[in-house]
Amino acid sequence: MRAVSFGSHINARGSAAGGLGFRRTARRVRALIAYAWPHRRRATLAAIALLLATATAIAGPVLLKFAIDRGIRPGDYGQVELWVGVYLAVAVVNWLFGSAQSYLTSWVGERMLTDLRRDLFAHVQTLEMGFFERTRAGVVISRITNDIEALESLVTDGPTTVIQNTLTLVGSAAVLLWIDWRLALATLTVFPGMAIGTAVFRHYSARAYRRTRERLAEVTAALQEDLSGVRVVQAFRREQANLRRFTEVNDSYRAANVQTVNAAALYFPYVDLLSAAATAVVLGYGGVLVFNGQMSPGDLFVFIGLLANFFDPVQQLSQFYQQFLSATAALDKIFDVMDTQPAMIDRPDAIELPQIAGEVVFDDVTFAYAAGGTEVLRHVSFTVAAGRTVALVGHTGAGKSTLVKLLARFYDPTGGTITIDGHDLRDVAVESLRSQLGIVPQEGFLFSGTVRDNIAFGRPEASLEDVQAAARAVGAHEFILDLQDGYDTQIQERGARLSIGQRQLVAFARALLADPRVLILDEATSSVDIPTEARIEEALSTLLAGRTAFVVAHRLSTIRNADLIVVLEYGQVIEAGTHEQLIAARGRYFSLYDDWVEAVA
Amino acid sequence: MTFRRLLGFLRPYRGQVIASALLAIGSQAAGLTVPYLTGRVIDALPPQGHDRSRLYVFAALIVAAGAVKAVLMLFRRWLAGRLSLAVEFDLRNAMYSHLQRLSYSFYDRHQTGQLMSRATVDLQAVRFFLGYGLIFFSQNAITIVIVVVALVAISWQLALIALAVSPLLMVSAYRYSRTSHPILKDVQQRIADVTTLAEENISGVRVVKAFAQEQRQIETFDTGTERVFAKAIEAAALQARYVPMMSSLPSVAIAAVLLVGGYDVVHHTLSLGSFFAVNGYLLLLALPLRSIGMWVGQYQRAIASGERIFEVLDVDRDILELPGAGDLPAGPGHVSFQGVSFGYSADRPVLHGIDLDIAAGSTVALIGPTGCGKTTLTTLIPRFYDVTAGSVRLDGADVREVTLESLRTAVGIVSQDTFLFSTTVAENIAYGAAWATPEQIVASARQAQAHEFISDLPDGYETRVGERGLSLSGGQRQRIAIARALLMNPRVLILDDATASVDASTEARIKLALREVMKGRTTLIIAHRLSTISMADSVVVLDHGRIVAQGRHDELLDSSPVYHEIHEHGLVERTFVQLDPDGAPIEKDGDQPPVRASGGRLP
Repeated sequence: MRAVSFGSHINARGSAAGGLGFRRTARRVRALIAYAWPHRRRATLAAIALLLATATAIAGPVLLKFAIDRGIRPGDYGQVELWVGVYLAVAVVNWLFGSAQSYLTSWVGERMLTDLRRDLFAHVQTLEMGFFERTRAGVVISRITNDIEALESLVTDGPTTVIQNTLTLVGSAAVLLWIDWRLALATLTVFPGMAIGTAVFRHYSARAYRRTRERLAEVTAALQEDLSGVRVVQAFRREQANLRRFTEVNDSYRAANVQTVNAAALYFPYVDLLSAAATAVVLGYGGVLVFNGQMSPGDLFVFIGLLANFFDPVQQLSQFYQQFLSATAALDKIFDVMDTQPAMIDRPDAIELPQIAGEVVFDDVTFAYAAGGTEVLRHVSFTVAAGRTVALVGHTGAGKSTLVKLLARFYDPTGGTITIDGHDLRDVAVESLRSQLGIVPQEGFLFSGTVRDNIAFGRPEASLEDVQAAARAVGAHEFILDLQDGYDTQIQERGARLSIGQRQLVAFARALLADPRVLILDEATSSVDIPTEARIEEALSTLLAGRTAFVVAHRLSTIRNADLIVVLEYGQVIEAGTHEQLIAARGRYFSLYDDWVEAVA
Repeated sequence: MTFRRLLGFLRPYRGQVIASALLAIGSQAAGLTVPYLTGRVIDALPPQGHDRSRLYVFAALIVAAGAVKAVLMLFRRWLAGRLSLAVEFDLRNAMYSHLQRLSYSFYDRHQTGQLMSRATVDLQAVRFFLGYGLIFFSQNAITIVIVVVALVAISWQLALIALAVSPLLMVSAYRYSRTSHPILKDVQQRIADVTTLAEENISGVRVVKAFAQEQRQIETFDTGTERVFAKAIEAAALQARYVPMMSSLPSVAIAAVLLVGGYDVVHHTLSLGSFFAVNGYLLLLALPLRSIGMWVGQYQRAIASGERIFEVLDVDRDILELPGAGDLPAGPGHVSFQGVSFGYSADRPVLHGIDLDIAAGSTVALIGPTGCGKTTLTTLIPRFYDVTAGSVRLDGADVREVTLESLRTAVGIVSQDTFLFSTTVAENIAYGAAWATPEQIVASARQAQAHEFISDLPDGYETRVGERGLSLSGGQRQRIAIARALLMNPRVLILDDATASVDASTEARIKLALREVMKGRTTLIIAHRLSTISMADSVVVLDHGRIVAQGRHDELLDSSPVYHEIHEHGLVERTFVQLDPDGAPIEKDGDQPPVRASGGRLP
C-alpha cells in the first residue's frame, strides 16, 4: 500500500504533539502532493495551461495601457484599434487555456481525492479489531467522507488560486516597479502588517479548524449510532431526550466553527483595509511626485490602475490561506488514521498458509485485551486433531468467544502459541489463514445487496447452484424462495425485514459455502426456532464431517457429539475430554450434567 | 422552489439577514467611492489642477472609505458566518428530529449511510451557499446595479455598449445552470453511496475480517469512488465549458468601451477623466460578471443538496397521531387483535385476519416457524406499523387513536436486536426512563439477573458498553435489554426471543424473575423453547401469517398436530445446563496450574 509508507515512521498516537504542528503539516501536505505524482503528465499539462492562462490574464491590462498610452492619449485611433484587437485575441487565448486548465486541474484534483480515499479505506481494512473497538464507527466514516470532501476545494481550486495569484502578484509587482520603483516600494510598506496579521490569524484558526473536524466526526458518530438504533429509540420514546443530546453535539460543532468564522471575519477586512491604505499612500506620495514634476500624471493613473491587479491576488491568496488551514485540519485527521500502524501486520517473512488439514494446538495461551489488563485467558492448552469437533463450554464471559477470536487471529495471544498444522499463526499471512476459516459470529450481520450476494460473501465467484446447495443444506432454501424475488431479493438495511432466525440461516449458508477447513460457530445455534434448528443440526453434522470445528454452543446434542469438550472457567481450562471421559472423571462437567438430568426429570 | 424553501430557513434570522445585507451594501458603497475619489485626485493634479491640499484630503478620504468598508465588512462577515452556521445547525437538528420520528418501515427501506450523508455532506453544501454564496451573490448583484447606474450617469451610450454582452451572459448562465443540476445531484448521490459502503463495512467489520474479504471490500469501495470520480469529472467538464467562457465575456465589453470611448476622447467629445472613471467602473464590473459562472455552479450544488435534504424532510410520518388524540386510558392491559391484516408492502401480506384476545394480566406464548409473522404481530401493539385492515386495541382503545407517547410507555419491548448505545450500563438500562434512581436501575438489573455480571464489570454500572465500549456476550446484552424494559414498568411486556441466547442456568433464573414480573401485566413471549412455553397461560401457533392453533398447552397437545410435532422436537432439543458463574466452582483457584487436556489428542 503506497500511502502507508508516507508517514509510517511517525506514530500518530506517539507524536500527539498538536503544538509542533507546522513541520507535521508540511510533511502531510507533501504526502498529499505526492498523490499528484502518478498523474504528472496531466498535472504538467494543467500547469502549462495555467501559466498561459495567467500570462494572458496579466497581459490584458498591459495591452489596455498600450491602447490608452499609444492610442487614446496621443489621439491616434489606429493604435487604439490595433491594441484592442490584440487585447481581444489575447482574451480568446485566455478563454481557451482557462478552459483547458479548469478541466485538467479538476481532473487531477478529483483523481487525487479518489486515490487518497481509496488508500484510506484500504488502510482502515488492514487495522485490527482493537482499532474498531476503540474508535466509534461514525468517526472513521467521517474521515472517509467529510474529511476527504473538505479537501476538495483545496486540491481542485487550490493550485489554480495559488499559481495564478502568485504570478499575477509577481507580474504586477514587476510592472509596478517598471513604471515607478519609488511608488512600488511605497506599496510594499503594507507587507509587514500583512505578515503579522496572517501569523495571528493562523495561530487562532488552525486549532479551531482542527476542533471543527473533531466535532463534525462526533456529529457523524451520533447520527450513525442513533440511526442504527432508531428502533430502540422509538420503542423507548427517547426521541426528545436524544434530540436534546444531539443538539448539544451539533451545537458544540457549531461553537468550534464559530471560532473559525470569528478569526476569518477579522482577517479579511484587515487585508482589505491594508490595500486601501496602500492606495492612499501611493496616491498621496504619487501626487506629491506629480506636483514636483518628478512623475507624469499618466504614469500615476496607470500605477493606480494596476494597484488593483496587485491587491486582488493578495485578497485571493488570503482567502486561499483560510481554505488551506481548514483543509489541512482535515488532512491531519486523515493522516492520523493513515499513520495508525496495524497491530496485526503480517511479518515480512510471513508465509502463505498452505492447504491445511486442520490440526489446531493451543499451547499455554494467555491473553489480555489491553496490555497489563485483566487476563481473559490463562495458560490454555489443548490439541484438536484435524477434522474433529471441539465444543467450548463455560458460562458467559468465561473466555469462549475470546478463544475463537484468537484462532481467527483477530488478536495475537499475549503469551503462548497457537498453531495450525504446526504453523504458528503469527508466522502466516492473515489472508491465507482466514480464507481457510469459516466463522458464524453471534450477530448475523448482513450487507446490502441480494440474498445471493450475502451467501456468496466469502466466495464471490460461486455459482447460483452452489449458493442454493448451501442454502438447502442449512434449511434456508424454502424461506428464501418465499421472498419477493427469491435469491435476488434485495436485503434491506441490515436485513431488517428478515427475522433474526432467517438472518442466522443466511449466515450459516454463508459459512458453509466458504467451505472452510476450520469452522467456528459462536453461539450461533441459539436463536433459531426449534424445527429450524433440528434441520440445522442435521446439516451441521454433514458440514462438520471432515473439517475441524470449534463450537461455542449451549445445546446438549452438539456437545455430546463433539470429539472434545473443553470446559472453561474464568479463562482457564478446567476440564477437557469427550462426553464419556468427562462423565467418567466425575468432575465439574459431571456435576453439571447431573444437574441437567435432574432439571429434565 | 427548493431555493425558496431553503430561504425559508433564513426566516428566523430575518433581522440578521437584513442587517448583513445592509452591511454588504454599505461596504460595497464605501468600496465604490474609491474609484470616484481616485478620479477626483487625478483631476486635482496638474495639468488640470494645482491644489496640493486637495490631494491630501482625497488621500485621507480614501483611507477613511477603506476603514469604513473594512469595519462594515468585518461585521457583515461575522454576522453571515454565524448565520450560516445557525442555518446548518437548524437544518441538521430538523433532519435529526424528523428522522427520529419516521416509522420502522422508512428504516426498512433506507440505509443509515445514505441518511448520514445527507445530514453532513449535503448540508455543508447548503450551508456554504446560504451563508456565503447568497451574500456574495447579492453583493455582486448590488455591485453590478450600482456600477451600471454610475456608468449610465457618466455616459449612457458607453454603458449600453458595456452591457451589450449581458444577454449572452444570461443565456450561458441559464444553460449552464440547467445542464449542471442533474449532474451535481448525481455527484451527491454517489458520495452518499460511498458513505453507505463505508458505513456498512465498518459496522460489519467482524464479518469482513472473518471471511478475509478485505480485498473485495476494497474493490467494491473502489468501484464506488470511481463512480464519484466519473460524475465529478462530468461536472468539471461542464464547468470548463461554461465558466471560462463566461468570465471572458466581460473582456469583450471592455474592448468595445475602449474602442468607442477612445474614439470619443480622441475626438474630444469625452474628457479623459470621465473616460478613466468609465474604465475604472468597468473593471469593477468585470469581477462580479466573471464570477457569475462560479456562483451558478455553487447555487446548483446547493439546490441539488437541498433537494436531497427535503426528500428526507418531506417523507410523511406515516405513523401519525390523530388530531386531538388523548392519552391511553388507564387499564389492566387487555390486548385484542380484531381482524388484523398487515403487509410490509401491499402485494405481500404477512398477517391475515388475525383475531386474538389476550386477557389482562395473562401470558401468551407465540410460536411458529421462522418468518411466520410472530415478531410482526407484536410490533403492531406499540404501533411501529399500522395495520392494513382490522384494529389493534389496548384496554379498549384503538392504538391509532391514542398518543404514541402514552401507548409506547405502556408497552415494554425486549426485541431480537439487543441494540446497546455507547454509553454506560446504567444509562442503557435507564434508556427509556431518565427519571430512574440508581436504586431503581439496580433493582431492575437484579430482576433481569444482570446485577451480578454487571457488578463484575471493570466499572460496574458505569462501564461503557456498545461500540467503543466493552463487548458483552449475547446473553449479557439481552439481560440488559430485559432490565431496560422492566424499568419502565409497562402494562404490556413483549419478549421477542428474549431468552434465546442466554445460557440455560441464567435462563432459569430469568424465568424465575419473569414470573414475578409477569404478575399484574400482560406478557407476550415469542418462544422457541418448551420451557418458556410452559410459563404461558396459553399458546398461539402461527403459520404463514395465520393463527393455526390456540389454547392451553395440554389442550393443544391433543388437538393440534402442528403443536404436537413442535413439542416432540422440542423435547429432544432440551438445553444444556451451562456452568453456573455464580455458584461456587469446585476448584476455584487462580494459581492452579492449567489442566492439560488429558484426552486432548483424539483417536
